[in-house]
Amino acid sequence: MDGPIKKILVYIDGTEQSITAAQYAICLSKLTDAELTALYVVNTRALNDLLKARIFIESEQAEYQRDLHADAERYLNHVKNLAKSKGVTINTENRSGTPYLEIKNVLTEKGTDLLVIGELSRIRSRRDEFFNETERAMRSSPCSVLIVKDDEKVWNMFDKLV
Amino acid sequence: MALLDLIEEDIIKVPLVSASKPAVIKELIQVLKDAGRIVDENKVYEAVMKREDLSSTGLERGIAVPHAKTDQVKTLTVAIGVSPAGVEFNAMDGAPSKLFFLILAPPDQSGPHIEALADIARITRSDAFCRLVGAAQSAKEIVDIFCED
Repeated sequence: MDGPIKKILVYIDGTEQSITAAQYAICLSKLTDAELTALYVVNTRALNDLLKARIFIESEQAEYQRDLHADAERYLNHVKNLAKSKGVTINTENRSGTPYLEIKNVLTEKGTDLLVIGELSRIRSRRDEFFNETERAMRSSPCSVLIVKDDEKVWNMFDKLV
Repeated sequence: MALLDLIEEDIIKVPLVSASKPAVIKELIQVLKDAGRIVDENKVYEAVMKREDLSSTGLERGIAVPHAKTDQVKTLTVAIGVSPAGVEFNAMDGAPSKLFFLILAPPDQSGPHIEALADIARITRSDAFCRLVGAAQSAKEIVDIFCED
C-alpha cells in the first residue's frame, strides 16, 4: 500500500516557527520519500492596504516590496541549505499576493497531501484570529494540515537525522 | 508576529502631554527608552523624522502612525500614546491627532513591520475601536480594549 503522504508543502513566513516547521518537513520527507516544496508568499495585499490607508507612500511601498522579495529569497535559500545538509531535495516557490489564498492555490496546483506550518501565534482577540494568515491557511487548506510544535524536540530530531 | 503580541502596558502612555509633532514623537520614543526597548533615542528620533519629512503619517480621524526602519531595535517595537487634547500632526484631514502608534523595525525585518502596520490599518478602520482607545484613561484599559476587540 502506498503511504498517505506523497507531496508535502511547508509554508515559510520568516518566523522561527516556520523554520522549525521546515526542519520537521525535511525529516518527514526523508522518512516518507515524499516530494517536498517550501513556499514563501510576499504579502502584497498588506502592502496595498498600507498604501490605500496612506500609511505608506508609493516609494515606501516599492522599497518594502523589494525588501520582502529579498527576505523570501534569503529564507528559501536557508531552507534549501537545511534540506541539502540532510540529503533531501526541496523545491521552492516564491509567490506574491494574499498569503492564505496563495497557499491554497499552490496546494491545489501541486495536488499536495500535507501542509506543514509552524506553531500559530497566541490568539489574543477575535480580530486577531480572523486576520492571522497562517490561521486562515490552516482553515482553508484543502488537504490535511500538520502544525509543528516543541521547537527543541524538532531541532534535536533534525540534528540526529542522517 | 501579531501586533497584539507586542502590546504591553509599559509601552503605552495615557495621556501624552506634548503639544507639538516633534515633542509627541520624542515623548513616545522616551516611553520605549524607559521600557528598555531602545538605547539611543536620538538616532530613533532622526529615523522617524526622516520618514515624516517625506510625508506626514497623520491619517484621518485623529490617528497617526509614525514609523521607521532603524538598527536601534533588534525586533519589531511599538509604542502607543493617547493625547486627549490632540496634537497638530499635519494629518490628511487637518484634524489634530489623538491616537499614536509608533512602530520601529530593524532594517532586516520588513515582513513583521508590514504585518504590524497592516494590523493597525485594519483595526483603526473601526470608529468604535478608535473612540474606545481615544477615551481610555490608562494603559491597562488600552491593553484590554485590544484584547477584547
